[in-house]
Amino acid sequence: MIQRHHVSALVVSAVAVAMAAAASVSFLGHSAMETIVPGPGVKDVRMLSDWFPALAGGAGDTEVYVLSGDEPGGSMLVLGGTHPNEPASFLSALLLIENAKPDRGTLYVIPRTNASGFTHNDPQEGAPTSFSFTLADGSARSFRYGSRATNPIHQWPDPDVYIHASSGQALSGNETRNINRAYPGRTDGTLTERVAYGIAQLIRAESIDLTVDLHEASPEYPVVNAVVAHERAMPLASNAVLGLEMQDLSITLEPSPRNLRGLTHRELGDSTDTLAVLLETCNPSQGRLRGRTDEALVLSGKDASYMKAFELGRLYVPFDGDGISIETRVGRHLATIGELAFALGMEKPGRDVEIGGIPPYEDLIARGVGAFLSPVPAADRE
Amino acid sequence: MPFELILFLVMVGVFVVGAFVLKLPVSLSMMLASLAALLASGNGLGIRHLVEGTFGYVDTILVIATAMIFMRAVQESGALDALTIVIIKRFRRVPALLLPLLMLVAMFPGMITGSSSASVLTAGAVVAPVLIILGLPKASAGAFIALAGILGMIAPPVNIPAMIIGGGIDMPFVGFELPLLLLTMPLAIVFSWWIGLKKIKRLEWEEIAPRLDTASYERYGFRLFLPIVGVAVLMVLGKALPSIFSLGLPVVFLLGAAAARFVGKRFSVLKASKAAMGDALPVLAILAGVGMFIQVMTLTGVRGFVVVSSLSVPAALLYVAIAVTMPLFGAVSSFGSASVLGVPFLLALLGKDQIIAASALSLVAALGDFMPPTALSAIFAAQVVGVDRYSLVLKKLILPALVVVAWALLFIGFSTTIRGFL
Repeated sequence: MIQRHHVSALVVSAVAVAMAAAASVSFLGHSAMETIVPGPGVKDVRMLSDWFPALAGGAGDTEVYVLSGDEPGGSMLVLGGTHPNEPASFLSALLLIENAKPDRGTLYVIPRTNASGFTHNDPQEGAPTSFSFTLADGSARSFRYGSRATNPIHQWPDPDVYIHASSGQALSGNETRNINRAYPGRTDGTLTERVAYGIAQLIRAESIDLTVDLHEASPEYPVVNAVVAHERAMPLASNAVLGLEMQDLSITLEPSPRNLRGLTHRELGDSTDTLAVLLETCNPSQGRLRGRTDEALVLSGKDASYMKAFELGRLYVPFDGDGISIETRVGRHLATIGELAFALGMEKPGRDVEIGGIPPYEDLIARGVGAFLSPVPAADRE
Repeated sequence: MPFELILFLVMVGVFVVGAFVLKLPVSLSMMLASLAALLASGNGLGIRHLVEGTFGYVDTILVIATAMIFMRAVQESGALDALTIVIIKRFRRVPALLLPLLMLVAMFPGMITGSSSASVLTAGAVVAPVLIILGLPKASAGAFIALAGILGMIAPPVNIPAMIIGGGIDMPFVGFELPLLLLTMPLAIVFSWWIGLKKIKRLEWEEIAPRLDTASYERYGFRLFLPIVGVAVLMVLGKALPSIFSLGLPVVFLLGAAAARFVGKRFSVLKASKAAMGDALPVLAILAGVGMFIQVMTLTGVRGFVVVSSLSVPAALLYVAIAVTMPLFGAVSSFGSASVLGVPFLLALLGKDQIIAASALSLVAALGDFMPPTALSAIFAAQVVGVDRYSLVLKKLILPALVVVAWALLFIGFSTTIRGFL
């Protein structure tokens, strides 16, 4: 005999199933990759598994765009999308792929360093799933806003405490899925550690002279609008900072801490011959003090909550009603990459990388990111 | 009035109406509060956000569910009764030693796992019957193991709130052991005496024996303890040799539960598991509701409003803000409090020793496990000691909680001096 509590249980179960189905559609849709349109400088598109075959076909494998000039020279690697919740990182790499054209040397660009992190959002962060730009021809392109960490679907569960393999350093367990705590990686480790290993292998195999890891930080974080450099990369980074000052872009130079392990600027500098640097811009959509979290915040960087926090003296960057737009953040990254490439020629004569076509800072601010995105060919749109 | 404040009031209002006027379960009230804020903020039904928020606690929910199954299995096998007998026989005449020892035993799982629930539900369930038989009222015994839960969670070697706070400013979890020991061990000793010393009785074995179920111990002997010993060993090995024994707590608890089936009294695994899940379900549902609540707070800007408001007090009142807002936010989650408020507060505590300050902030955040409606430590402690209303346990925790806050603030205030002694 059906009783009242059976009916309510049935109704609650049906509602739960319907909610799960609706959320699943959104979750599965997050795995659909956005199109990247290779620009005039792209000579080859390879996969990270070319350097570490164990990654082939898995969630960690990711595209490596090779842009090379006619003249021989040095080599440079740009890592975008290390943390897919830091959109200026991915977008800067994307604009390089779609616009840059090296005249000398080779530029390797990985736009989705942690490809798995692009397929989900961090729980309890309320982040948007995507953000869009309108292009010059009136069309629109959307890109995924992801998570700081590898998708638990691909790597789970986390241990209570994450022990960095080569140093024994202990960190909170959820850092197990943070690729910027996993370097130099290992062949038999977690998916995240294996991807880190693949990147280190690429650097070794291609004798990468300079590696630039692109990031964003919240306005209340002390290391923001900064270059963090391994000790061997300090002279090069100093020259780049001077170059940025000439462009009226103020940026701080921080030495890579020796006791903070697993990060690109420490481990890639220690375990390979590359000069390793990490760049931080200021992203109001990822901090703890932010107000309403949505696509508008990601793009405009305007936030009343951060304005109040600035008035209270709680921030490490100036923050006013103009916010810190995505154009400002991408522009800073691209300007710094340009200066670092220029400084590489002074640091290692004969190993220089000359890159033309990088969208200039002022043009980005004036015309917006959309002006530098290529329309997606009709065939790819489907 | 800022729109975020209006939204916050809507969330609190709907929760209060749901939980106290309509007498709905706390979990459902939190979901309704989240739904109301989604609608009021123009985010529609926001189904994706409601579901996504709950996933922040999937691991915690698995740990609690399996710990409950383990404890029920150990209880059914007769091991809990047997352990009570052994402890009482050995230590009943020296309460000044027995009480800190019991506190340490109750803290141990929390120290190894970083989870107060693991402490209360496992070792707490061993310690509580001993305290009750020796004369402690049930509510006091509950307070004893609830305090052990949060002190164990903060004591080294594993302190997840401190790791979360450190992670927020890229500070590795290195050099925390001594400050954390200093923060927790004196409190553990003082609280064990404070709660127990006056009420505990020096009883003769002949007086106690008739009140104990000695049959299982006499029949099965030491082998009854093998599941408990096995779980403790796997917990320690998981910490000492993580590359080999990294099974994870849920698997460890399920192995322990399976072993309990074969060492003592026979029982139905299915019935024991169902009973355990029946006990755990309300709390697991609260965690899911809390996940939704935090997600919607973040999405709508209420979280930022709360954090910036907490930081907007004058520097002199910063300590008051820490003392009030961190435990209050812990009502949502102590880990959430460490992440959302602990990191900005640590950044605001310029000039302090960062490791000692982060350690002390983690202790204040841990008090969130006493804060209703989640109050994980207090709710589980009440269940373990058999008290119907957990508010009875909470009342006993008010004064100790104030002492904990004062102790933590002293550590922050004098962090550089304390560093000089370490």
